[in-house]
Amino acid sequence: MKDRPTATKTIIEARASLLSELRSFFEARQSLEVDVPAIAKAPASDPWLDSFTVNDPTGLHVGYLLTSPETYLKRLLSEYQCAIHAIGKAYRANEEGSEHAIEFTMLEWYRPTSIRPFQAMVSEIQDLVETLTEYGRPEVIAYSDVFKATYGLNPHQATTDDLARFSSDLLGSKAAASLDLDSQLNLLFATAIEPHLINHIVVDFPAIQSALARIESDGVDSVAKRAELYIAGCEIANGYYELTDAVEQATRFDEDNRRRESSHRPVVPRDDALLDALTSGLPESYGVALGVDRLLQVMTQSKTLSECMTFTGHL
Amino acid sequence: MASFSTNEFKTGLKVMIDSDPCTIVENEFVKPGKGQAFNRVKIKSLKTGRVVEKTFKSGDSVEAADVIDLDMEYLYADGEFYHFMMTDGSFEQHAADAQAVGDASKWLKEQGTYIITLFNGAPLAVTPPNHIELEVVETDPGLKGDTAQGGSKPATLSTGAVVNVPLFIEIGEVLRVDTRTGDYVSRATKK
Repeated sequence: MKDRPTATKTIIEARASLLSELRSFFEARQSLEVDVPAIAKAPASDPWLDSFTVNDPTGLHVGYLLTSPETYLKRLLSEYQCAIHAIGKAYRANEEGSEHAIEFTMLEWYRPTSIRPFQAMVSEIQDLVETLTEYGRPEVIAYSDVFKATYGLNPHQATTDDLARFSSDLLGSKAAASLDLDSQLNLLFATAIEPHLINHIVVDFPAIQSALARIESDGVDSVAKRAELYIAGCEIANGYYELTDAVEQATRFDEDNRRRESSHRPVVPRDDALLDALTSGLPESYGVALGVDRLLQVMTQSKTLSECMTFTGHL
Repeated sequence: MASFSTNEFKTGLKVMIDSDPCTIVENEFVKPGKGQAFNRVKIKSLKTGRVVEKTFKSGDSVEAADVIDLDMEYLYADGEFYHFMMTDGSFEQHAADAQAVGDASKWLKEQGTYIITLFNGAPLAVTPPNHIELEVVETDPGLKGDTAQGGSKPATLSTGAVVNVPLFIEIGEVLRVDTRTGDYVSRATKK
């Protein structure tokens, strides 16, 4: 029979208990679970994310399926100023592979705090891994340290040409030369560093990869205050010490759209509701997005993400 | 010229890489949460059999290789070329050179059926069936009573291939051999 569930009963049970443990973890930390829409008027503007568009039966455009609940969570955060989390489906077009699916389960949480917010975020991610998995407490390493150890270069000062020397081994010199700094860094990180991160939180990313994170000095270079969790060579969670400056955010929207245009992606409408929320005041806070299916994948030591999805290949 | 985008990549797809026809052995989609997507691909050259790793920006395309696999019957060798004939009733013949035949030469028996890979209409590679039955033309006499020891000895087959066989195998017997490993599988006939 076709279209039967693809996950085994054991995996379905593991998923159920993971979801309930995640909920207990946040309940114990006084976080409020919120249930937000999956469709929004404006999608994420990230230059490398493709959103599905939603049309009504007459073909009229209704909105976009969200690539993450970020816009709704930040709007709630601005309104109620309390710790919140959401567990739900997120959608990303054109992402399919052994660690990717177009529809997946995402946990995203935000916590207002003015006491060392970045350190608080890192230790909350560490607590989560330590409490829920058998991997123990993740080790924290700086992006620049792990990059230097692999390529002998300071990633915050390296130029596109410096990096192209390495990426041309992978892509050929012509394709390597066509990559911008951000893509060079992503390629080099994903191919030679990520597979070796067993249970690590990488902090202080290159400023060009700041997205919605703050930029601060690490004493020498400007770095993006991001923290990414990797387990068993797989990217599991992505945390940001959040940008609360509406003007800066508006500038980054425009910059994203310019980059989308240059890579032939559709330009997206500006998320004015999010900008309004930032204008009326986002508390000092951090936010983390975590791929629940991937966490389940590494916890059950499954080879592919699809083994951990209840249904796959059904479309 | 036909081409394939990275999102059509899958195992077995035949593409041109550096003007060489290749087949995709493995395709992995790599994408950091916020970054550009890439496809890391293991590619086997159909000419040399060498496997290399390549990375493509997702969305890029590569030229399709005009490659087709056909069943053909082996006829004979003339010293320079190996001659094969289509099994579809067309009697169409193709001549493969030593490079195309490669290691398959030691498994070629007349009237046997092989997969011939044609590139732009010319034979590029010859693949024997996974199992083939061949006669032993030369081997030392077996020693009685040694069968339980599981010992082995070399035997030369009718095509010239040498395989290790159990001690009880004698000249004139037909053996089943695995062409991928060159291992003896079983006796094909009882004497």
